[in-house]
This record gives sequence, C-alpha cells and structure tokens, in this order.
Amino acid sequence: MNDDYVTENWNETETEREPETRTDGGESVAVAPETRQRSGESPGGPDGPGRSGESERSGCEFAGEELVIGYSSGEEPVIDGETLRVEPGEVTALVGPNGSGKSTLLKGLADQLSIRNGRVLLDGDDVYSLSAKELAKRLGLLSQENVSPNSIPVEKLVEHGRYPHRGFFDSLTDEDREAIDRAISLAGVDHLRDREVGSLSGGQKQLVWIAMVLAQETDVLLLDEPTTFLDLHHQLEVMEIVETLRDESDITVVVVLHDIDQAARYADHMVALKDGSIRAQGAPDEIVTEELLADVFEIEAVVEPTAYGPQITPLHPLHDEHSHGSDTPRPGDGS
Amino acid sequence: MASESVSPGSAAEDGRDWLWWLDGKLAGVCVASLLVVVAGGLVQVSFGAYTMSIVEAWQAVFNPDVLFNADAWRAFLLGGEVPEMNRRSLIVWNIRLPRVFVAALVGMNLAVSGAIFQAITRNELASPFILGVSSGAGLMILLVLVVFSGVTLVIPYVFGTLVLGVSSLLPVIASLGGIGAFLIVYVIAWKNGTSPIRLVLAGVIVGTVFQSLQTGLFFFADDLGVVQSAIAWTTGSLTGTDWEQVRMAAPWTVLAMVLALVSARQLNVLLLGESTAKALGMSVEKVRFALSGVAVLAAAASIAVAGIVGFVGLIVPHMVRNVVGSDYKKLVVGCAFTGPALMVAADVGARLALNPVQIPVGIVTGLVGGPYFLYLMRKQQTMGEI
Repeated sequence: MNDDYVTENWNETETEREPETRTDGGESVAVAPETRQRSGESPGGPDGPGRSGESERSGCEFAGEELVIGYSSGEEPVIDGETLRVEPGEVTALVGPNGSGKSTLLKGLADQLSIRNGRVLLDGDDVYSLSAKELAKRLGLLSQENVSPNSIPVEKLVEHGRYPHRGFFDSLTDEDREAIDRAISLAGVDHLRDREVGSLSGGQKQLVWIAMVLAQETDVLLLDEPTTFLDLHHQLEVMEIVETLRDESDITVVVVLHDIDQAARYADHMVALKDGSIRAQGAPDEIVTEELLADVFEIEAVVEPTAYGPQITPLHPLHDEHSHGSDTPRPGDGS
Repeated sequence: MASESVSPGSAAEDGRDWLWWLDGKLAGVCVASLLVVVAGGLVQVSFGAYTMSIVEAWQAVFNPDVLFNADAWRAFLLGGEVPEMNRRSLIVWNIRLPRVFVAALVGMNLAVSGAIFQAITRNELASPFILGVSSGAGLMILLVLVVFSGVTLVIPYVFGTLVLGVSSLLPVIASLGGIGAFLIVYVIAWKNGTSPIRLVLAGVIVGTVFQSLQTGLFFFADDLGVVQSAIAWTTGSLTGTDWEQVRMAAPWTVLAMVLALVSARQLNVLLLGESTAKALGMSVEKVRFALSGVAVLAAAASIAVAGIVGFVGLIVPHMVRNVVGSDYKKLVVGCAFTGPALMVAADVGARLALNPVQIPVGIVTGLVGGPYFLYLMRKQQTMGEI
C-alpha cells in the first residue's frame, strides 16, 4: 500500500541522480550518496515497508549558505556564518547538546526566524523571496511543541496541512482529500481518524501532527525533535515514517534529533553542532567517533560499529579541563 | 487496501462538505436560541407602559396590514414616513419590536467579536473589549457629554449648511473612539510584528489610561442627567432604541458576520499557534490584523447603538464552545444565534424587572454573566484554554 502511495505521488519527477559536484569552499557538507546505502545492506535492518532500492530519485536541492541567525537584534547571533547543504531526497540529522543551536538553525532554514545574513536556497530559489504560501507548498516544518484545540477531530487537524494549497474561499478539492488520505495512511493514524485530538496519547498526537505536515506535500520536510518525550514504540513509529519517506519518496528530510544513537541509525547524513557552529558533518559511521562525542557532547563514550550504524555507550561526562584538550578550542576560552 | 477502506468515507465527505452546519448539536443550539429570541420578543412586545393584553399584542405583531406592507418595511428599514396603522400596531412595531431587533444585532456582534478575539489571543478569557475598544469608546462618550456637549458642527452643504449637535453624533463618535483605541493598542504592541501577549498587554495599558481619564471626566459633569446618560452609555443600554438604531447597526452586522464566517478557517489555523500557522503559509500578521479589524467593526457597531455592553462577548463564545466544540465555522454560527438569545433575554429583565424604571441592559448581562462564569469555573478543570 505504502509503495503505491509514494510511487504514484512523489516519484513524479524521477530523473537520474546528479553526480555530486561541489566546488564551493567553506564548510560545505556534501556527502556522496553511496556512502550510506544502509537500506540494502544492513542485514537485520528493519524490514521497512517495501524497500524500493531500484528507485532513482532526485529530491529537492536545499541548502543554507553563510547563515547568521539570532533571536533579538541586540544579542550575539546564535548561528554565525554556517553553511549547510543537505542531500536531496535523503535524511539529514542535526545533533548537538542542549543550546547548541539545532532548533535555531532549523527555524532559520524554515523562515520562522529571520536570518541576519546569508541565504537559504530551495531548488535555487531564495526562501526569503518566496511568499509564505509559496514556501509552505514546498517546505514543511513540524515544531517541537504543537498546540491544538482538544475538541478538533484528527481528520480536521490533518486537513489544515492543505492550507497553503487552498485559496481563501476554496473548499477541499479531490486532490486535497487524496493528499489527506495518503498522509493519514502513511502516518499510520487511520484508526484515529475520527477521534478528538485531546483524547490521544502524546505519541499518537505526534503521529497526527506528522500526518498534518505530510498532507502539506512539500519537497522538503523539517522536523524539530519529533521523537523527544515519546515512548520507545512511538519513537520507532516516527522514525519509520522518516525512513519510508527516504526510501520511497523524493522528500528531503532534515530532522533535529536529541538522541544521537537514533540519528546514527536512521540518518544518511549527520551534522553535529556545538555553540552554534558546525563541528562535523558526514555519514554517521564517519563522524560518530569517540573524539567527536568528547568534543561536541563532552562525554566519554565507547562507539561500536553495528549493523544498525554506530552504537554509542556513554560512560561519563567530561568536564571543561578535558574539552580544552580537543583541537577545536571553544570561542571565549581565552587560555 | 487502506485507500479502499478510506474512499467511502471521503465520498461521503463530498456530500457532507456543504452540509457541515447540519451538525446536531449546532442545530440544537440555533433552534434553542431562536426559541429564546422569539419568546423574549413576545414578552417584550406584550408588556410596557401602554397596557394591552397578550393576545392583542400578538395580533399587533402578526398584523397582516403591517407584515405585508411594503411601505411600512421601507419606512422601517430605509427611514421615512411610517404609514397609517392602528395604535397597537404602531406601538408594537415602532417602539417595542425594534428594540428586540437592536438587542439581537448587538448580541450577535458582541458574541462573534468575542469569539474572534478569543482565537486571535488564543485565550478563552478575551472579550471584544480586550484591545482597548471599550475604554476608547467610553472616553469619547464622556468627552462628548461633558466637555463638548454644547458644541455644534457646521458642515457646509450644497444648499446652505448642515448644523449638527455633537451629541447627536455620539454613536458614531463612540465607535470611532473604540476603533481609535484599538489602533493605538496595535501601534504600541508592534515591534517587528506582534504577538497575542503583546497585544493583550498593550490593551491593558491603553485601557488603564483611558479608563482613568474617563473616570476623571465624571468629576466635571455638572448635572445628574449627564452622569446618568454617561452611565447608560458606558454600561450599555437599549432604552429608547428604535428603527434608526436597526438601520445603523444592520449593514455593519451583516458585513461582520459574512467576514467572520468566510474567515473561519483562518481562525481555526490561528488556534494552532503562530509558528504552526506560519509554517502552513499563513501571513500571520496580516491575517491577525484583518481579523481584529472585523471583530472591532462588530464591537463598534454594537457600541454605536447600545453603548458598552459587557460580558456578552465573553460568555457567549464560551457557552457555544462547550456545546459545539472549537471549530470556528460552527462557533461563529452558534454565536450569531446565541448572542441574540442572551441579549434579548437580558433586555427583558432590564426593561421589565423594575417596571416602570428601566435599568441599563449591561447591568443585567453582568448579573447573569458573573454567576454563569463561576459555574463554568467550578465545572471545568481547564479554564482559559481554547
């Protein structure tokens, strides 16, 4: 079922994947797509619904260049001149400790926070030159915390995902209804369709919210900590949706994850942030190392490669004396 | 497979799309409200200074000579000479019924205005007057009655000049005062855009200052009549309203209702919070300002004919939401029926409870509204959340 869903609707623009040619300087973060074909090779890999290894897809080009992002104009920017390029059609995870700027970066990419400098490109178009509606047709964002009236039925909430596609006076078209049905079945919330959102568990609510952004049918999907505060079952549900999107559609996914294990397992590409700067980016098995964990997360940990990607066993927290030893001194260290 | 199991549902949805208002609960709310309006209206036309029996009063209401008389309706709705009719019909149709209609229009405006402001501020405790509208209107009322009462406006006209006493423009000036205060609130709240909390705070600031000025002006009122008139205006009263007030309020009411109804989806999306609304492609600032404008228009229309009637705009959306849920399509329709019901019923009390003395209807709405709110507070765990 899911195969039909995606192949019919998201693989319309099947073209050959362009070879990666990156000549730009700075911190460009390209990773050859071949580096992470876990879907085919991970033996015990979760048998996601219908792997379509044959599909040659090219997702939407999405990149942020020389971004300077901050909250109020008086203060130091949180992100200061970082360049981020994500792999079209793949899953990129942003990881980092609390306060490292992951969410800020994501909000800047989604035009929720206005960036002070630099630009965000969506298939070559500057995001800030697009109208709010134009942007929302091509880029979806699921915030970390979402609120809705308790009495709204699940289906009505998902229907709001069609907002950018509808004019002021338009009622739902057949196309809208199909998109809503597809989103609901991909998010696996068919059985909740007529329930009121207020009556759902936290995990079910999150799936419903994901259904809403899926109904938006965008080329790029940004998810801000979609698994935080969920129980394990719903964490896996969410990540399987992400996996399905990666395997069976052109959607380019950027996801902020709190759990670095999860990021290493599900992402094609990881970007590690600390203090607002990108410390490392690349395929999980390249960048998830004991050194990186010490530098970025300030923990001592053991990293073991497994079939599901690198597995991290945290041992204990490192204190400042240790991190001084790392080769990237933090700004303001002074010593 | 999933799509097959889903498609019958969505096919049914096709047919249901324009029948959304045939929701059982909503229909119940509307029918019950209509019954209250009709009952209240019949009580209003049956009692008063000129005594007539209930049967006589009802005969006067359903007098075919008036009901099917185009001239009479033209006189009522467009102004002009009222055609000949018997004394009872004249009293019922010219004095008692228009007051019921004005009450209905005011209730409709306040309820829908309150519902809109509750979505904009995402707070169930918002009222039509949360953004300074009442204090601006109140200040202008006091200024006109106390300071500029003798002032006349001389407007050069094609043939001669038109001389207008400022007091006769009080309804318009009061509404404009309310709209002006709302604009000041918006300017104060604006800093690279605004937010619900900034708007509410700015409303409190402007409200406090204008309220003080208004209270201060009471000291300069030199006779009791002016003070009573000022109190009637600032608490809301329907005494002495007739077809002129209906003509004044009706067009704005229709406009505000239509705008509120077509904006229902925007209101629903606003309820999801600013960042979600923005991520869905809404120009939040524009939509918020436009919707505030609609709500202020509705509030100003009610101020022009009845003064500042409190509590209706706060309570009615609450009552309706408790029954039909928070979908604004249903909520707006429900408010447009329940607001008139509450207002007409309250005006029965205001006009007849202490007969022959009439009290401002705003006092009755406050007396009814307070205890109802207390009841809600006791019953519900989560007050204040939409």
